[in-house]
Amino acid sequence: MWLPIRIDEQRPEPLYHQIEVQLRGLILGGQLAEGTLLPSIRELAVSLKCSAITVRRVYQDLENEGLIRTRQGTGTFVAGVELVAKDEHRLERAAEELERAVDEALRLQCTPEELKTIFERIIRGKTEEHKGEIR
Amino acid sequence: MTAMSLGTNTAISLRGIKLQHDKFTLGPLHCEIPRGMVTAIVGPNGSGKSTLFRAILGLEPLQSGEIEVLGSKIDFGEDDSYKARIGFLAENPHAHENSFTADEKAQFASHWYPGWDWERYRKLLRHFDVDGSVKLSKLSKGMRRKVELAITLAHDPELLLLDEPSSGLDPFAWKTMLEELQRYLEPGDRTLILATHILEEIRRLADYILFLNRGKILGLYEKDRLLDDWRTIVVQQHEAKGFGNEALQRTPGLQGLAEAGPGVYRLEVNEPEQGEAYCRSNGFQVLAVQRMELEDILSCLIRKEEAKR
Repeated sequence: MWLPIRIDEQRPEPLYHQIEVQLRGLILGGQLAEGTLLPSIRELAVSLKCSAITVRRVYQDLENEGLIRTRQGTGTFVAGVELVAKDEHRLERAAEELERAVDEALRLQCTPEELKTIFERIIRGKTEEHKGEIR
Repeated sequence: MTAMSLGTNTAISLRGIKLQHDKFTLGPLHCEIPRGMVTAIVGPNGSGKSTLFRAILGLEPLQSGEIEVLGSKIDFGEDDSYKARIGFLAENPHAHENSFTADEKAQFASHWYPGWDWERYRKLLRHFDVDGSVKLSKLSKGMRRKVELAITLAHDPELLLLDEPSSGLDPFAWKTMLEELQRYLEPGDRTLILATHILEEIRRLADYILFLNRGKILGLYEKDRLLDDWRTIVVQQHEAKGFGNEALQRTPGLQGLAEAGPGVYRLEVNEPEQGEAYCRSNGFQVLAVQRMELEDILSCLIRKEEAKR
């Protein structure tokens, strides 16, 4: 099975960290449903061009977090994730994205008042655009 | 990886082995090659890769030291039952086999290896798209390579030694080979050691890299640690401070330093965070930080080694 994980050679974070963050994101974000069979350690290592040691470490960490589980002889599966955890992750991810946008705006010397005005205008516009998609 | 030194997790132990040919000395080598992992042996031509393989197979008399393979000490001619658990692909085909067909060579191999599996052999031939009834001498270099690979893999050896496996293969056969090697490794307890110049093979397959140069080991590294740790940092000196790189000579983890332009320096380091912080605190502006390619890391290690000579 193919996973949409991309290693960015230029990022300073170590390879295992990059893979772990993305795989955790795929599980908490719901892209990988409970019970999904994950690639074997060797399969993922070959496809990401990293070592089996790195993948084993990622799987071990995520298993300790309760996000995946290994069944002897059958493979590694996505575990059931509580809705609370998914919700927390959703808000964390949204906050990260917003932070990035705010950083950029501050670099452009926007004041907090200007930012709030822009933010509310965008929210109003987007709510119209995405009517029906938003819960 | 603290368990690495334990016997059960070691496929091959080299304990101070040394041997000599006319003008070439291999060793003394000390090294533990981990079991269940893929180790790529990398080094310039003539660094001793093929000789090391021959030594592991008990084909080279040792001047000193000892080799343990899959838990058995090699005792030269006494008990070579351990060899039935090894698959070996030599760098060059054997001329004395020219008049055999692939199937005849396989017939011969099937007597030697208890784990021989005809069905696996036929599947491999089919996947590599070669005809087993043609004389080996009539096959192209790449076709013959595919036959040899199929025969090497057909007994599902515990330890697989491949010397430049992809030489002569076209890109399609090369891809098939990678698929077959991945399948071979799937159970997780198989050990693969390959000597190769093809960096893409190392990127896709290797867990560990053993650097060899002039018959000596420059180091056995975990591949991803190597790629995470080694970086190139390009820095520029603020003009007001004048020129000079004395301060840079003391950069933590410095492995190489070159001037890349007026006041611009290119550093190779294996402690990237400390290195970068050091440059900044010494008045250098960091222009770029990049991971290094394996070949650049190897050149750097060789350069340092040669400087010691």
